[in-house]
Amino acid sequence: MDLNRLVSYSLRIGVLTSALLSLVGLSVWAAHGFDNLVSAAGSDIASTLASAFRGNDSGIIYLAIVILIATPVFRVAISSVYFVKEGDGKYVLISLAVLSMLLFALFSGYAG
Amino acid sequence: MLGPIDVLVIFLVSIIAGFIGALFGLGGGVLIIPFLTLVEGVPVPLAVGASIVSVVATSSSSAATYVQDHLTNLRLGMFLEIGTVAGAITGAFVAVFLPASVLFVFFGLILLYATIIMVRARGIDFPADVKPDKTSRILSLGGQYEDHSLNRVVKYEVTRTPLTVFIGYFAGIVSGLLGVGGGIINVPTMNLVSKIPVKVASATSNFMIGVTAAASASVYLIRGDVNPLLAAPLIVGVAGGALLGTRVLKVTPPARVKVAFGILLAAISLLMILKGFNLPVVL
Repeated sequence: MDLNRLVSYSLRIGVLTSALLSLVGLSVWAAHGFDNLVSAAGSDIASTLASAFRGNDSGIIYLAIVILIATPVFRVAISSVYFVKEGDGKYVLISLAVLSMLLFALFSGYAG
Repeated sequence: MLGPIDVLVIFLVSIIAGFIGALFGLGGGVLIIPFLTLVEGVPVPLAVGASIVSVVATSSSSAATYVQDHLTNLRLGMFLEIGTVAGAITGAFVAVFLPASVLFVFFGLILLYATIIMVRARGIDFPADVKPDKTSRILSLGGQYEDHSLNRVVKYEVTRTPLTVFIGYFAGIVSGLLGVGGGIINVPTMNLVSKIPVKVASATSNFMIGVTAAASASVYLIRGDVNPLLAAPLIVGVAGGALLGTRVLKVTPPARVKVAFGILLAAISLLMILKGFNLPVVL
């Protein structure tokens, strides 16, 4: 499979999954009588995500958000694997540089 | 507190934002931020947090289509992302230290500048005799694409790459600070500095915006500035709107795309400046 298709499919699947989960989350929210939902921060996000599997509306929406943010990160990761396979050293380095910055953003966010 | 009516209105507006975002190579955030802050009265950090998440959706959704149509220059996009992602992280961290009013005025002025150079350079959509610079040659950044409105294959070269990477870093900062994708800066820069055809610039910018926004979105998410009831209708709306927008770009002639783009930019930059001076903006 060429890189164009690989990238295109992974982006489409990620966004579609996230949009569908957002719709499910909003439906559960409506079914529960439109309660106020608050933002989660830092380590609370993990427990909010876990509550998605018990059908919690906020948890389902957070799962959608995390899948969405992970989609372009995943795109960079598969691109670097593709460039390794192609033996294209310059672009392996470029995609790894971008990937490490993205991971830094996630972890430094926890620290701050 | 957000009720069902707010969520429905946000959903409808985000369809339009997603459509226009895909059409002009923007993330749609330039419309979402004024709407959330001026119309819905959402505090700036929460508006930025929700907008930057929706920008990931618009960009990824339209990027998927452009990449499949071979309109996106993948290599160029990945190389320029080094600048935009570094900028986005910088912006997301610096955001908490800067007063919003300063940022709005600053952004409005940049936007106005981008509009002026875009409109003045309307004639040069297919720049001829472009000599690739050293970086461009080493990384083989040039490419070609099939222009459906002209019915021919357009070959192009990329020049002055380091300057475009540098401006990309700046675009990333604006993205991380204000919750927009940064396409408003990237598309004119790629077209005017690096001589990339506007359709390729739009498609490649969209592709870069997903990763750029993901970097700052993760900082906002962990900081607790992403509200689920703002994010959910935005994600659904922009993803749908972006699908429509990418269909239109394939058949619209480049000149008309640019004129519409210019008018949109001018209107938004005025709104941003007014907001910065705390003038009552009525929409």
